[in-house]
Amino acid sequence: MTLRIRLSVNGSAREVLIPSSRRLIDFLRDDLGLTGTKEGCGVGVCGACTVLLDGRMISSCLALAAFADGAEVTTVEGLADDERLHPVQQAFIEYGGAQCGICTPGQVVAAKALLDEVPNPTEGEIREWMLGNLCRCTGYYKIIESIQKAAGHARL
Amino acid sequence: MKLVQRSILAVERERLWDFLMDVPRVARCIPGVEAIEPAGENRYRGVLNVQIGPVRLALGGTVTLEEQDRNGWQAALRAEADDRGAGGGIRARMTARLAPAPTGIELVVETDLAVLGKIGEFGQPLIKKKADGLMQAFAVNVRAALGRAPSSRE
Amino acid sequence: MHAFDYTAPESLASALAELEEAGDEGKVIAGGTALMILMMQRLVRPTRLISLRRLPGLGRIEVVDGGVRIGALATHRDVETSPLIRSRIPVLAETLSRVATLRIRNVATIGGCLAHADPNQDPPVTLLALDARVRIAGRQGERQVALDEFFVDYYQTALRPGEVVVAVDVAFPAPGNASAFHKFLPRTADDYATVAVAATVTLTPEGVCREARIGLGALGPTPLRARDAEAIVIGERLSDRLLAAASEAAIRVVDPIADPRGSAEYKRQMAGVFVRRALRGAWDRASREAA
Repeated sequence: MTLRIRLSVNGSAREVLIPSSRRLIDFLRDDLGLTGTKEGCGVGVCGACTVLLDGRMISSCLALAAFADGAEVTTVEGLADDERLHPVQQAFIEYGGAQCGICTPGQVVAAKALLDEVPNPTEGEIREWMLGNLCRCTGYYKIIESIQKAAGHARL
Repeated sequence: MKLVQRSILAVERERLWDFLMDVPRVARCIPGVEAIEPAGENRYRGVLNVQIGPVRLALGGTVTLEEQDRNGWQAALRAEADDRGAGGGIRARMTARLAPAPTGIELVVETDLAVLGKIGEFGQPLIKKKADGLMQAFAVNVRAALGRAPSSRE
Repeated sequence: MHAFDYTAPESLASALAELEEAGDEGKVIAGGTALMILMMQRLVRPTRLISLRRLPGLGRIEVVDGGVRIGALATHRDVETSPLIRSRIPVLAETLSRVATLRIRNVATIGGCLAHADPNQDPPVTLLALDARVRIAGRQGERQVALDEFFVDYYQTALRPGEVVVAVDVAFPAPGNASAFHKFLPRTADDYATVAVAATVTLTPEGVCREARIGLGALGPTPLRARDAEAIVIGERLSDRLLAAASEAAIRVVDPIADPRGSAEYKRQMAGVFVRRALRGAWDRASREAA
């Protein structure tokens, strides 16, 4: 079965035909070429596929693309403002929040969602918010530090 | 995974034995078995439908009677079945023993079961529970079947 | 994933009509966090998915006669952050805040959680202790079922073909009442619990227990009530001996399975430990309420 859905992806409106069984992650990566979003575990545990659906972070591997009908999707590609990186992206670069990079898009999107909701989070709040985004390289200290710095920048 | 199920049936050992060696008849006592048919010597092909909550499996495969020791009252069979949709299946070796008990004959079924693929990931414990339930229903059905059939002594 | 038809009806009546028409081949989807995994593993292969996501008003959290009605489409996060739930039934907000990760809680719905009936989930444990009632809609109309009678077996509920969960009702706690939820997570914070226990107690001003309910999770084919343990503590004052007797009684009703989170025997022992902790936690809070 083919479905027609209307949605906004990173601010641009789209109307597309998709197979009804298309997952949101496959729609973003394969149909739209937005390959920043990664698939890690495929069962909603690792956080690599984190995107925002109407501002709320979700696992795009556990969502049907049909769920995005009428909604606004934000992926890592939608964070930077033209040539200027989002403060979270800038901080991950400056403070070593990324190493191999596979988890980074998910980390960055999750951190952006956090700062949207809690502009100045405590370390405890950061840890709790980010606990579903797994990283196997840098360890979590650099990620937490990057988010703290990004919160500081965002306030300036 | 090893499973042991015991049930006591109030029938003569010989009669129970003859019944159990008649695989198509036995199969009809297992809820969910459909279309069992011969596929060579001591070999049968069939499908077992199992439902656990929202998960419905159609396990299609073969059952081979590997050992029949009427003197020792022990038999062994091997079952291999797969669910094509889910991509997984079961491999089982079952030994059935008939031992005298105060109120009849105790049927002891020991199963060495491997659950493969996605079905195994979904839950070994559920499979065990399902196997226990099937075995209980089996014992009830065997009792009913033997009760209906005329006894050799009659 | 396999191919299926997908519809997102805009009224409950049309959703129920579609569900009836689809029969065995149909499956209701809401947040989808549980069903998507089963479908990706090809363990569940409905040919028709009927999404409840467009049903208006089914996600409301509102006050109704002496309690709160949580619409089936309210997400775990909606309930966890609801000012009404936080102030009036804090143990429920606390329980939901500890389910899986935020990404899951943003999506997974209360109705979906109940209908999925996985005995390892947390919310049913606390909802059982709170004596919640499930509201169910079908073509024949609505009916209510006590949560205690809703869970039938692993992944099986009292829902009849063609029915959907539309809400769960929870009464506001009586004066002198408090609750606690304790779960054991030896692996990671977002894992399913090895055991989970929720207890609620209502104390007289003298500190005697008037009412108690205990919910148990991951300890049997369904979430369980420890009724014998409840009977033991009612009419009594808190003591170590009382808690020991209650936990022994609770252990007798559990039937856990061995899995990577622990052997069956280990879980039985942990059930006793966590029943003690939850009862003591609820009791301490209730004493402070009464004081």
